[in-house]
Amino acid sequence: MDETLAEFIKRTILKIPMTEMMTVLKAWDFLSEKQLQTVNFRQRKESLVHDLVLLCEEKRASVHDAALLDIIYTQFHRHQKVWDVFQMSKEPGEDIDLFDMEQFKSSFVKILRRALRNVTVSFRDAEENSVWIRIAWGTQYRKPNQYKPVYVVYYSQTPYVFTSSCQLKSNIPLLGQALTVASNHHKIVKMDLRSRYLDSLKAIVFKQYNRNFETHNTTVPLQERTLELDIHMDSRIIHENRIEKERVQRVTQETFGDYPQPRLEFAQYKLETKFKSDFNGDILAERKEPLRCLIKFSSPHLLEALKALAPAGIADAPLSPLLTCIPNKGMNYFKIRDK
Amino acid sequence: MEWANDGKTRGGVLAHLERLEIQVNRSRKNLEDLQRAQAVESALGTKIHKLRCLRDELRAEAKQRQARVKASTVNVEPDQTPEISEQEVAKRRKENVKAILQAYRFTGLSGKLTSRGVCVCISTAFEGNLLDSYFIDLVIQKPLRIHHHSIPVFIPLEELSAKYLQTNIQHFLFCLCEYLNAYAGRKYQADRLQSDFAAFLAGPLRRNSLCNLLSFTYKVEPRGQSFPFCARLLYKDLTTALPTDVTVTYQGTDALSSSWEEQRASHENLFFSKPLHQVFTSFARKGEKLDMSLVS
Repeated sequence: MDETLAEFIKRTILKIPMTEMMTVLKAWDFLSEKQLQTVNFRQRKESLVHDLVLLCEEKRASVHDAALLDIIYTQFHRHQKVWDVFQMSKEPGEDIDLFDMEQFKSSFVKILRRALRNVTVSFRDAEENSVWIRIAWGTQYRKPNQYKPVYVVYYSQTPYVFTSSCQLKSNIPLLGQALTVASNHHKIVKMDLRSRYLDSLKAIVFKQYNRNFETHNTTVPLQERTLELDIHMDSRIIHENRIEKERVQRVTQETFGDYPQPRLEFAQYKLETKFKSDFNGDILAERKEPLRCLIKFSSPHLLEALKALAPAGIADAPLSPLLTCIPNKGMNYFKIRDK
Repeated sequence: MEWANDGKTRGGVLAHLERLEIQVNRSRKNLEDLQRAQAVESALGTKIHKLRCLRDELRAEAKQRQARVKASTVNVEPDQTPEISEQEVAKRRKENVKAILQAYRFTGLSGKLTSRGVCVCISTAFEGNLLDSYFIDLVIQKPLRIHHHSIPVFIPLEELSAKYLQTNIQHFLFCLCEYLNAYAGRKYQADRLQSDFAAFLAGPLRRNSLCNLLSFTYKVEPRGQSFPFCARLLYKDLTTALPTDVTVTYQGTDALSSSWEEQRASHENLFFSKPLHQVFTSFARKGEKLDMSLVS
């Protein structure tokens, strides 16, 4: 095992928090139970990692084994990456998609290798017939850089692909082509949707975020939901504007529903519109060119924050459709121009 | 003839006649008495019969009345208030109707009116097993639109709704039912194969989201020396739960003996005609029969 590989394995294992070490190593399934038993997991982390790397050397770990460990680590810490979403499309009237995972994988690798000799591609099957792909890019003359890989998550027979943001922008078209051809699609387009929370992105594009359905089997009728302000709490407390508060509550519930919102960290609006002002003779109002302006809303949980705006009295209800359309349209990057 | 003119003879014939007369009278009287008694007897007999009939009628009526009373007491509340409030009756009727509405799930296609339209529930089933339910919440407006749903993303919902939602909603729902039931059936077969017949598989079962391509290597006998066959099942018709293309091959370089070739061909037919898990059940049963024959 050469030094660079040993170093890479060492750095990958070092990233793993001690509380997860056993779980990740077991998921990796490269070192046997026997080998793991010979290691003292109570020692200092550096010494533990040193011992583990020695075991990997004994077992002659390859680049692919190390790549697999990297995938598993990333699966446990997916929030550390920022994920983009791509949408693929087919020609109308195409045949039924008989997706064969093995064919997809071999086709994908073939297309990448045809263009780039130096590239490391690794696969790990995941739940719901999906696959995690790790790609380490090299160039014509340089070996793949294992420290800046791109991750791709693809659920079979769906048009959506999730990729971790790639710094090497030049490789994106090649990646897109490989994905499209291998999965029997025709075109691929980047969506204006980005977040750290992969599961929320999946919920948004697969339209799985609202799981509340009215059936005869539900016991609580949705219309009889009581106001969150518990009026019966204390008779000395009188709620002012009760009617208005109830209206706001109702409108918020209609817009956002009763379900937990998918998690996004920001919404960005790029405005290229002419300035509109009520005051006549305002300097900016005379400008003929559109004003360029970028508005960014940030939050640890943007959609829950937006949901709480009107009930908290900070904004009027109903909120602007530009804010409320985010999960429905599957966008959190907007470009607004004058019509 | 000797006339005897003494008292004895006179007493003799006339007395004899008298005696005979008395006898006749007596017997006639007896006969009349007997007849009278018989008449009385028959009269009494008829009376008894009449009374018996009457008794039976009265008994029957008494029973009927008892039964009626019993039936009416059952309907009366256990706390024996003679009045049942209208509210209670209405409540019970409502619960009854609600239970019927809940049971509609078992028909496969049911729905509930919502404030903006209707929420349709498609309950899938395969071979009598109730499987997952899927929902579509429709907003009744012009144009009709889907508010939200729980249909998996790989089912062609957009295609179907573009074609049929506005023009023929019944067809839209039936098509969707077809797709979902077929998908649920294929998924059920693949899951059964993976869980119940893992011993027959010589490797992982390869499948995809729609469960319309299955690829696996299997042996007819889990522990035996039978050859491993590779099966590849394609379901090109997404509205059916049986494959449209089946290829069973033998992994190896030698040519198959004729008996194995027969088996291979018969397996192909089996996979075409029967659900996957049933094919493997029949393999298991054949294996048991073989075991029995070895024992005996």
